[in-house]
Parts: sequence; structure tokens; C-alpha cells
Amino acid sequence: MSFLSPLAFLFALSLPAVVVFYLLKRKRVVKLVPSSLLWQKFLAETQASAPLQRLRHNWLLLLQLLLLLLLVLALARPYFAGKTGEAALQIVIIDASASMQATDETPSRFEKARSEALQLVDGLKTGFSQDNQQMLLMVAGANAEVKQSATSEKAALRRALQAAQVTDSPTRLADALRVAETLTRDKPNAEIHLFSDGAGVDLSEFETKDLRLVFHRVGTRGNNQGIVTLDVKPNPEDPAKRALFTSIANFSDTSVDTTVELLFDGQLVETKPVTLGATNTTPVVFLAAQPRDGVFTVRLTAKDDLAADNQASVVSLLPQPVRVLLVTRGNRFLEKALAGAAPNVELATSTDFTETGAKFDLVVLDDVPPAAWPTGNVLAIHVASTNWFEGGIGGVEAPPIVDWKNTHPLLRFVSFDNVQIASSLAVRTPSWAVSLVDSPTSPLVVAGELGRQRIVWIGFDTLQSTWPLRISFPIFIANAVDWLNPATAKADRFQLHAGDAFRLPLGDFGQPTSAKVTTPDGTVKDIPLGPQARELVFGETAKQGTYRIALGTNQLAFCANLLDSNESNITPRNELSLGRHGEVTATTQKRANLEWWRWFAAGALAVMMAEWWWYHRRTA
Amino acid sequence: MNALLTPELLRRLEQVQLLAARRAKSSLKGERRSRARGLSVEFADHRNYVLGDDLRYLDWNLFGRLDRLFLKLYEEERELPVRIFLDASESMNFGAPTKFDFARQIAAAIGYVAVCGFDRVSVNVFPEAATTTGNSELAYRNALRSVRGKKSAMQFFQNLSALSASGIADFNGSLKRGAMEARQAGVAIVLSDFLDPAGYEPGLNALIGRGFQINAVQILAPEELTPTTFGDLRLVDSESGSETEVTFGKYRLSAYQQSVANYIQRLSEFAKGRGIRFFSVSSATDLGDLLLKQLRASEVWG
Repeated sequence: MSFLSPLAFLFALSLPAVVVFYLLKRKRVVKLVPSSLLWQKFLAETQASAPLQRLRHNWLLLLQLLLLLLLVLALARPYFAGKTGEAALQIVIIDASASMQATDETPSRFEKARSEALQLVDGLKTGFSQDNQQMLLMVAGANAEVKQSATSEKAALRRALQAAQVTDSPTRLADALRVAETLTRDKPNAEIHLFSDGAGVDLSEFETKDLRLVFHRVGTRGNNQGIVTLDVKPNPEDPAKRALFTSIANFSDTSVDTTVELLFDGQLVETKPVTLGATNTTPVVFLAAQPRDGVFTVRLTAKDDLAADNQASVVSLLPQPVRVLLVTRGNRFLEKALAGAAPNVELATSTDFTETGAKFDLVVLDDVPPAAWPTGNVLAIHVASTNWFEGGIGGVEAPPIVDWKNTHPLLRFVSFDNVQIASSLAVRTPSWAVSLVDSPTSPLVVAGELGRQRIVWIGFDTLQSTWPLRISFPIFIANAVDWLNPATAKADRFQLHAGDAFRLPLGDFGQPTSAKVTTPDGTVKDIPLGPQARELVFGETAKQGTYRIALGTNQLAFCANLLDSNESNITPRNELSLGRHGEVTATTQKRANLEWWRWFAAGALAVMMAEWWWYHRRTA
Repeated sequence: MNALLTPELLRRLEQVQLLAARRAKSSLKGERRSRARGLSVEFADHRNYVLGDDLRYLDWNLFGRLDRLFLKLYEEERELPVRIFLDASESMNFGAPTKFDFARQIAAAIGYVAVCGFDRVSVNVFPEAATTTGNSELAYRNALRSVRGKKSAMQFFQNLSALSASGIADFNGSLKRGAMEARQAGVAIVLSDFLDPAGYEPGLNALIGRGFQINAVQILAPEELTPTTFGDLRLVDSESGSETEVTFGKYRLSAYQQSVANYIQRLSEFAKGRGIRFFSVSSATDLGDLLLKQLRASEVWG
């Protein structure tokens, strides 16, 4: 304990004065009585019955000394010092990600963080002294928000803290730290206080930065089960049904028996009991009929510390026929593969592509340069538009395949073992695309989205390779048809992480003047749309669940989910690693200069009242 | 008529007389039955005639029947000495009316009852008057030493009224001296506040030893029973002048009253154990109530 104004201890000189006053004879009222005999008997009897009566006269003295002592202490302004609270500029970042909703702290990690941050605010040294401290408050939820710019005003900071809300989004501390890093750069006397559980925090980009980070850990345990993936697909065996693939992770140390419920538009369809092994992820597959476009919701009934990830929803649209135009000089392998790529492929074949009235969902250009390049999604084989690649198009003979990205959806279950290629176009991977299959000199397959057009480019003629003879070829074509199908892209649009903005091109909806969005908790937001508006953007998706949009006469729905295994793993981390070398350990230091004078003053008031009462009880 | 007793009270007091449990031992004639044989109307016994007896008391009827001379004996009626010990110390000057006034009223009433019953009353006022007090005070006190006959009642009242209270009482010494002075034991009335630091036991014991039948009345001022001054007090004893420092509040009132009650209780038990009729009254008590109800109920008189 230290004192802000130790000079106030000079007031302690008044303590002996009180004692002196007590040593002086008290002025008593002189009264003549017939006989003091009765009084002496009375005094003898009352003193005999209470051995503490000797002290009775001193109690007032003691009370008064205590009162003075408390007042002097209050005047001296005692506080508990904290090293971390010394910086002139303190940047407080509160993690508002989904894992902060965990209830292992009462009432929740976020509330704990809030109250700890409030303590930090209380400990702020303000006033007209030299060491006036400032604080800046940021809340890192779906995006980093500066809730209160740097100020010394405690009331404003408290207000901002109280207004902060926790979200269902994954942790995105990097943005907030980037801002904080900018603010603290070149300021030696600044600190960043991060209130977080450390779950899902990736700080590798700050490896080389000088980040004066104080990590205040909240959270005690990691008892959580959560839905980490959810996907809806046509059921290949029964076109009338839909297959929902979900995986449920158990992050606790004990095995948990629970049930998983499947709901369609809020109606319970199916329940499945599952046993979730300790720290295991369990896949669950539902097969369900779907009468109309709607929302499938998977719900976990387990009681755990985090509720946000116990439910996930997905928009499922009824499968539409995929109209594919194959422009080829003849390729049996490709035709077969395309026809069998999906149950509902409508394949048309042509020798050349011209922009006709016919609408196709995707166009496959097999070694035929088109008269006009299609504006829809394209699978281009051994042809290239000059718009796609910078730096020109060359050639390479017999390129060996050295690597492929089997994590990309296009290469799911696809292997390029035993594939030989006679020759290929040589390009440089453009910025809009990723290279899926690589040779040492050139990418052989790239995929990406250019504008709103999805493009898969294969640099070699498949007939000049052994690929069509491999099982991977039809699988790749099926994946490509799925990926290039605009319906898939559309479905993806209705599926987002909590906190991401929802974007919807308005091309198909005419010119609505406004949109109404109903959030999962039932509030309705009106979004006005100007006459030039080409896209609806809705950013308030901090809460997971199903959002419904009324756009003119159209009713749409999109789903925001957590679906993040890093975030669902709510085990609090003791240290945050900054890349490979640095790490920040959770602080145990006292966080605040807690001033105590209020307590002393309140105590003094109580003692004074007790003394008053005691005095009047004795003499009145 | 006088300041001490109202005529109404006097009239009612004339109807009562002191009750004595023992036969009177006085040598003077009175109206009390005694063991002595003498002249009265109450026949007591016969005895043989001896030469020189008064022939008027011969029983002639017996002489006619038995031809022998017998003398008729009668009970002699003697007076009852009533001794009143009146505390006239400084402490009796407190209360409204003062304790001393109240005590004098009781003394007057008892004395009046006694003189009406042809008993002799002597009032012992203690402490002894200091020599500095005027001669008149001493004269009044001496006049109160022996009062007899109803005609002297007025003088008795006047002398009582003229008394004043002052000085330090020596309760025990006064009672012992009174016991020794008395030629015959009789009824003793002790009127005091019994607040002597030296105690009251030796004095009362001395009276009992002398054969007195004691009636003790403790007179306390209302202020003593229920103090009304609170705060940090320095209490000065009116007699000894000793000082006692007391911090006194309302919340301790009941404790004080309890200790006063304890004191009275001890005194009362002491009296009861020795056959003393004991009364404790406040000086604000109604005099008629005390005299005509309480004293009568406990058979001081009837």
C-alpha cells in the first residue's frame, strides 16, 4: 500500500491532542446530594457486575482515536500500486469473440473481463498532476471497434465499457492489435492491456513487432462441446433427400453422451444420440427429405459452458438442374465425366461458343478458343483468355506434377499420382486465383474468381495426358461442376461466419427500395436501398442464427454460424505466442491503483456515528 | 392550629392508641396495664393483712365468712414511655416536602397519639445541636425530652416546628446513647433516612438489647429514589462533603433503582429478623395514608 499524499500524515499530530484532552479533567456538573451512600453502592454494584467497566471510560477515547486515524488515512489517499498501471497511455482491448460468452466465470468471461477492465479504469491516475494517465478502449468482436478514444475521463470510459457487447464471431484480435500497435509505436510509455481467454488468438504477424502487451487472462476451464462444421449436399443415392454433414467436437477431458437434433425451418425432423469422446471430433450425417427451400438447423443438447456453438444452421436450396455447355471437337472422356458429374446435369454439346440467348450455368471450353469469351462460370481446358493471365502465355513440354492442393474443394478426393502430361501452357499464377496443381515451372491447374466469374483453368489438353484414364478425372470434373455451379456459389453466399457482412447482388430482384432484415432475436431492421444500389450489404451479423430478409416480394434467409473449432476450444491459454519466438504470459500482477480513501472515510463516518450513539447513550 | 398536622388528621388520631406488646415498666402512673400491683379498678389478687396496711382495702366479705383479714390487690396502671429518635442531619433537608418535615409530621402524629393515651413521649433529636446554634434551638430540644399530658400537645407541636436540621448524623452513637439514657424500655420510633456510611446495625441492636419495641421509618426523597439529573456529574455529599464522580444516563436508571431497592431490601430484612416494624417511604407519600393505613395495618397502633 502506498499513499498519494503522505503529507497528510501530519494530521496524525492531532492524535496526541485527543489523548491530552482526555488527560485533562473532565468538567462535571456539580450536584449536591443528600448522601452519596446510595451512589457508591450503585457504582460498586454496576462495576462488580461488569469487569470491563474499567475500560468503559476509555471507549470514547478509543473510538475517537480510531476515527481520527481513519480520517488521516483517508486524507493520505492510500492505494495499492500496480506496475502495469503506470503507463501514460493504456490501450484496453477486450476480446468480444464467441468464446468470451463461456459461463465458466460468473456470469461470463466477458462480464469478468469487463469488470476487470473497470478496475483498471478505477485505478487510472487522473487529475491535474504530472502523471495524468489516458486510456483508450477497443472491443474486438467481429471487427475491432474503438469504443472510446484516449481520454482521462473515467465516466466516459465506464460508459463505453458498459456499452460493449459480446458477439458470436470468431476471435479477430489481429485488427485491434494492429491499431493498438500503431498507436503505441514510438511511445515508450504506453501499454496494451488485452482481456481475453486466449482461445483462437493468432498473433503470428506481430512476431517482429514491439508489442507491449499485457495479457489479462479470463476463463478457468474448457468444458465445451460444439458444432464445428456443417454442410448440406444432395444425397447421391436418393435425389429426393439431402445429406447434412456435421462434425461435433468435444473439447472437454471427459466423454459426453448427448443428442443431436436436426430441425428444418424450426420443425424437429430427427434426433440422434451421440457419444463424444474426450477431445475428439465426431462426424454425424443426417439424411432428410426437403420439400422446399429452407433452413436446416443442427442443435446440440449438451449442457456446456459455451452456448453459441451448440447450434448451427444452413440454408438449403432445392437442387436445380445444372445446364452445362460443352464446347469441344470431341472428347468422350469429358462428355461421360460431365454427364455423370451430378444427377441433374443437362449437358449440351457444341463445337463453338457464341453468346446466344440460351442460358447455361457453366461452359466447358475443351481446347476450343471461343469466338466470344463467356461471362458465366467457365472450365477452360488448354485455352486461355489473355485477360486472365499477366505476362503472356508460353509453353512447357512434359511438365512433371510436383504438388497439388488437396485441401481445396476442387481437389477433394483427387490424386495426381500416375498422371503424365505431354505438354502444357505455361503461365504465372494470377492474383485472382490459386494454383491447384504445380509443375516446377508453371501452374498446371488454377482456380479462382475473377469479378463474379468463377474460372477453373487446366493448362494441358486432357487428351494429351494420362489423366482421363485415372479415377481422379471424373471426380475432379464432378467437383468442378459442383464448384462452378452458380447455385453452389449462391448457397455459399447464404452461409457466413458470425460477424461477416452479408452481401447479396440485387440483379435478380429488380429495384426494391428497401429491405427488411429480421435478426435471430426478432428485431427488424430496415435497410433503405438507393436507386443505384446493386448490392445489399448487412453487417450486423454478430449473433449466430438465421436472418430473414424481405426484399420486395422475395423472402430470403441466410445463416450466420460460429463453426470455428479454434473458437469452440474455449480452454483458456496461459500464454499467447507471438509467432515462433515471442510469447506473452498471462499477468498476475495487480492491475489497478485502487484508491482506498473512500473505504477509510466511510469507516470514519461509521465510527463517528458509533461514538455519537455511545456518548448519548451514556449521558442522555 | 399548627403547620405539622391538620385538625382533621388530629381528630382521627385521637381515636387510635399505641399498641405495646409488652407490659409497661414505667414507674409512673398511666393507663397501661403493668405487672405492678396498686390502685385501680382491676382486681388482681388477695394477700394476708400485715400490720400497717390500709384498712380501706380489706375484704370485709371474706372477713365475715372466714374471720381472717385479707387485703384485696388491684393491678396498677402505668404509663408507656414512647421514645422518638428523630434524624435532624443535613441530609434530611432534601426532597419536596423535605424529609425532615415529613419525619417531624410523623413524630408529631405519634407523639400526639401517645400523649392522648397518657403516655410519656420523649423525642431524641440527633445529631446533638452544635454549641454554635442558638440557645432557643437547645431549649426546644430540651423541652421535647419529656412530654406528658394532652394539654402539652400544643407546646409539643410548636417545639417540633421550631427544629431545624443540620450537621452530620451519628446514627449509631445517638441510638446507643438514647438506649442507655432511657430508665425504662418502651416503644421506640426511629425516623431517619438510614443513609449513614457507618451503617445502622449497632444502633438498632443497642435499642433491642435495652428491650425497646422498635418501629423504624426510613424516609427517602423522591430525588434519591428516581434521580432526574443526568450527564457527567460530580456528586457532593451534603453531610461529609465527599465527592463522587458519576456518569449517569437514563439507560442506567434502572440499575440505580435496583441498587437502591437492594439497600432497602437488606435494611428491611435486618429489621424483620429482629422483630422491628420497618417502613420505607418517600417524603412525597401522603401522610394520612401512611399514618392511618400503613401504621395501623402493621399494628403500630390501633
